Amino acid sequence: MTDKDLIKKLNSLKSLKPDDSFKKSNRDILLSQISNSGARDLSSWQSFSINFTSFMKAISQPAYALGIFLFVILSGSLFSHQIFSGAKPNDSLYIARIVSEKARLNTVMNPSDRNKLAVRFALEHAQDISSVLADPNFNTEANQDQVARLNESFNREIDSARSMISYLSPEKKVSPVSEASSTEASEDVFQIAGSEKDEQGLQLFEANEPIATPLVETTSIELEEVEEEAATSSDLTGSILDEAKQFSENKDYQKASEKLREASELIK
Amino acid sequence: MAGNLIKKFKNSQSLKRLKNQDRDAFTKAYDDNIDDIYRFVYFKIGSREEANDLTSTVFLKTWSHIQTNSLESSKTLRALLYKVARTTIIDYYRESGRKITASLDDEENKIDIADESSFDFNEKMDEASDIALIKGKLPLLKEEYREVIIMRFINDLTLEEIADISGKKKGTVRVLLHRALSALKELVKEDDRL
Repeated sequence: MTDKDLIKKLNSLKSLKPDDSFKKSNRDILLSQISNSGARDLSSWQSFSINFTSFMKAISQPAYALGIFLFVILSGSLFSHQIFSGAKPNDSLYIARIVSEKARLNTVMNPSDRNKLAVRFALEHAQDISSVLADPNFNTEANQDQVARLNESFNREIDSARSMISYLSPEKKVSPVSEASSTEASEDVFQIAGSEKDEQGLQLFEANEPIATPLVETTSIELEEVEEEAATSSDLTGSILDEAKQFSENKDYQKASEKLREASELIK
Repeated sequence: MAGNLIKKFKNSQSLKRLKNQDRDAFTKAYDDNIDDIYRFVYFKIGSREEANDLTSTVFLKTWSHIQTNSLESSKTLRALLYKVARTTIIDYYRESGRKITASLDDEENKIDIADESSFDFNEKMDEASDIALIKGKLPLLKEEYREVIIMRFINDLTLEEIADISGKKKGTVRVLLHRALSALKELVKEDDRL
């Protein structure tokens, strides 16, 4: 008999079990004995507490803790925007919203998409600022310092969006194919925010430099048509933003918000 | 990794619930482990009726141990049950003044088969007799050989679990298993020669 045969035959001894009647009667006897010594049904709170501490014990090992940490960081950077998107400029969570937007921008690889997203965020900030300024409970005599700061933030967001929009047009993105080397393409590096902080939050961008984009090969006719269309759209959006700024300066925050919504629609 | 996490969670949860005197946790522990513990006890002592009594004692003692002791050294409930079963059997040997050394063919110390109907009678005759032979030879093995064979090949415990229960290192358990199998094979061969 080989070891394998022997083991197989030993395995078959697994079929030996106690009688079902013995199992049942024995269970009842044991339950009554332990009941006499204090066994009881646990409350929901006790069950929850036990489940929680058991989970914490299970994940206490470094490998699990690292895995959960990475999961939290990754999901936070991917989904935190949704969680904090409702935070307004005068909320304590507004900073968290700005940070989550930055994290989200860092996950977008395509420069054109990143620019569009940045513009969208800037316009959303501006809209939120105008809705806060439009609130009579906030915009009071006692609060003029904060109102002034929010106005400044509003103007910054509009300027930022305006300059970003001009870089969304293809004449900035595309160079005609030439024998010149690709190093002649713009190598401007875009600096993501954090440099301007104020009480109402962080501004996302320094409003001047475009994100580096690769050379794109296209025919000259197609290039002209696309350039024309984008320039028109860019001009229109720019002028809408100017109007929004004007309305804000005239303290007509409702109309400013409407103009910003219009501009957002054009960017989509 | 997720499977291990769930296993660790369930282990910790069952021990904590028992520590809090949860009746349902005891019922679950009993239902999940009664077959294995019974088999372990039965193959160690060789008598159905005594195995019934000792198995009940094991569960009661385990309950009592959980209530009165810290669970820091207990990795799993299953390991704890086996540890209690081992000590209970040692106490039984001490009280009864004997250790089981009988074989299936020994009329004075006959080993009862607890539930013959659980065996498949469609097995070939020679395979059935082989199994009966092995069952008969198990009691003739050294105590620690018999124990590791029961835990590993009959009750499917892992080497880590056996090491935890017996207080030995995993490598030692592996060596012990190899020697136990060789010893059992020798006993079976002796019978073939006869």
